[in-house]
Amino acid sequence: MKMERRVALKSMAVAMGAMAGLPSWASGWNKSAVAKGRLLSADQSKNLTMIVETIIPKTDTPGAGELGVGDFVQKMVKDCYDAKAQASLASGVSNIDEQSIQRFGKSFTDASKEQRLQILSEIEKGSDAVQKGFFSMVKNLTIQGYMTSEYVMTNITHYEMIPARYHGCVPVKKG
Amino acid sequence: MANFNIDSKKARTYDAIVIGSGISGGWSAKELTEKGLKTLVLERGRDVQHIKDYPTTNMMPWEFEHRERLTKEIADANPIAARCYNFKESSMHFFAKDNEHPYIQEKPFDWLRGYQVGGKSLLWARQTQRWSKYDFEGPARDQFAVEWPIGYDDLAPWYSHVEKFAGITGNKDGIDALPDGEFLPPHDLNCVEKYFKEQVSKQYKDRHIIIGRAAHITEPQQIHLDQGRAKCQHRVMCERGCPFGGYFSSNASTIPWAMKTGNMTLRPHSVVHSIIYDDKKQKASGVRVIDANTKQMIEFYADIIFLNAAALNSNLVLLNSVSSRFPNGLGNDSGLLGKYVAFHNYRATVSGEYEGFLDSTTDGKRPNSGYIPRFRNVYKQETDFLRGYAAGFGANRNTYNDRNGLGESLKAGLHETKYGNWSVGSHMMGETIPKESNYVALDKTEKDPFGMPKMRISVDYDDNDEKMIKDYMEQVSEMFTKAGFANVRTHDNHRNPGNDIHEMGGARMGKDPKTSLLNKWNQLHHCKNVFVTDGACMTSTSTQNPSLTYMALSARAVDYAVKQSKAKNL
Repeated sequence: MKMERRVALKSMAVAMGAMAGLPSWASGWNKSAVAKGRLLSADQSKNLTMIVETIIPKTDTPGAGELGVGDFVQKMVKDCYDAKAQASLASGVSNIDEQSIQRFGKSFTDASKEQRLQILSEIEKGSDAVQKGFFSMVKNLTIQGYMTSEYVMTNITHYEMIPARYHGCVPVKKG
Repeated sequence: MANFNIDSKKARTYDAIVIGSGISGGWSAKELTEKGLKTLVLERGRDVQHIKDYPTTNMMPWEFEHRERLTKEIADANPIAARCYNFKESSMHFFAKDNEHPYIQEKPFDWLRGYQVGGKSLLWARQTQRWSKYDFEGPARDQFAVEWPIGYDDLAPWYSHVEKFAGITGNKDGIDALPDGEFLPPHDLNCVEKYFKEQVSKQYKDRHIIIGRAAHITEPQQIHLDQGRAKCQHRVMCERGCPFGGYFSSNASTIPWAMKTGNMTLRPHSVVHSIIYDDKKQKASGVRVIDANTKQMIEFYADIIFLNAAALNSNLVLLNSVSSRFPNGLGNDSGLLGKYVAFHNYRATVSGEYEGFLDSTTDGKRPNSGYIPRFRNVYKQETDFLRGYAAGFGANRNTYNDRNGLGESLKAGLHETKYGNWSVGSHMMGETIPKESNYVALDKTEKDPFGMPKMRISVDYDDNDEKMIKDYMEQVSEMFTKAGFANVRTHDNHRNPGNDIHEMGGARMGKDPKTSLLNKWNQLHHCKNVFVTDGACMTSTSTQNPSLTYMALSARAVDYAVKQSKAKNL
């Protein structure tokens, strides 16, 4: 009985999933706000992707770069943040690249993993309020984009769209 | 209109017209059509059909390009709507846009509107507590507004009637001040909520913590299956529209039910301009509609008219229905139409933490929360303010991830969920006192894009509300502290009136035609075939989320109207 219900729910969800494309009156809300063109140049975008990959790197699972979090960060700043934050994203990304060239003689995307981590962690712990503000915004958005990516929600945090239950008091799972 | 021939007029004539398809209009339509009346339902917005027109309902979190956050463009263009907790990327298509539906704020008022078939029943918080006799007795006992012409006993059978059909989860708590209803099995209180319930009942003999009564199907009955609705799946994404029909909305329930009778005609894009008054017959003969697409005026005719346009818009329709007999608005001999508007005071919250039950957590999701029924001034006046407040109460086990560091250590931290203390929180739901100085009126010159006079809204808090906020903060802080909660903090969010989305009154019920617009059957004292059964009819507000009461009033008024119509008394 229980099984049948689950199968029924699943097929219902699949059937309805087919109509996920938004009709004009719903997507109309977003159309003009959707990123047309980008905030960053192609080079800056590559650098941003390398920044998010440095913040959350590939291990035995994909890193933020591979999961497209760089584009997510850029989209969020472009659509949801004010002009000041948008300017700080562009200048912050360029600044990181310049630092890399000055200190290591190569662009941020060509720098070693250790060199990239060194630059970012110095900014995070440093005293330059503007760069710190920029980096905090990028780090927070990187974490958000990573944690809400399809890969992480499906394979790591095991998001349940349809819990079909609420138990008010269960033991905390250890480990 | 002279060009329309007799056939055309006949084609536009119905037994009844319902203005509005939201939570109360849906009920009016269901009851009228079930009783065999050919009924025209007019809705100012577009059609929203159950499931088919819920475009975001099955979208995964990562499919929202801004992860539910509003873009700056949308937030800036819609500051009023954007202040609503429910206005987000997945649900904003169910809200009226600020700039398309302008109104005049004499004082700050967040007027939140759902202009589509189903209205705000797609967006509501689904809390469905009955009023008690103490709530109805309030104005008479405490000498404000006017006496309610009905009491709890008048409405109780109709509460049962609507509860059985809508599907209400709840626990029979046996509390005098919050009557039990026809309940499906209750949701769980969690460990900390249960603990708080025990602590409060030890410390206070008249205070209770209960699970909210809510319009969710926890165990479908035949009547729910007959509607094509299924058990609530605890997705807690109700504002997207529910593909299971797990919660009650007009779209999932009353509107398709009415449609199935074969007696309903649903006309979206129909902005009601006014109700037509026939001087000879001394009653209403129909309504004038502005077609939202063509902007053309069309008339429809019926012997019974139910006005369910939502509280303030029902005021607007009546105010705009002027005739030689009613130069100040339909039924408005008293001059009180639009006045004595009130709302619910949601300004204060109390939060804290609890360090117990650290081996426990919750599992799954719950589309409901705990509830603290009103305990102030229930049986007698005992504070320096009138009336009282109910409160929401909930506890959650905090989880977090370590966000320190960069690189692999950060990634490892993000992959491990850690448990913090339990957080506890409460919000107040205070009764506000209707006053003549809190009113809505039509602007004499400015029009909205449909050519309707712009609404002027002048509604504010008063000293009674401020005292109530203070008392709520003190009392709930004390309850939290006595239960051993730590870091107890109070907060005043200073939200504007209207943000509660519980605006009521303006066409209040009462015994005396000199001091009220509607009689005990929600019937205009001076125009017997017009019934108003949405929030506009409310004489006072009490503390309960009001929708259940509108549903019961609608069903009761339809029953009366149809009986009177058959007896040729309308």
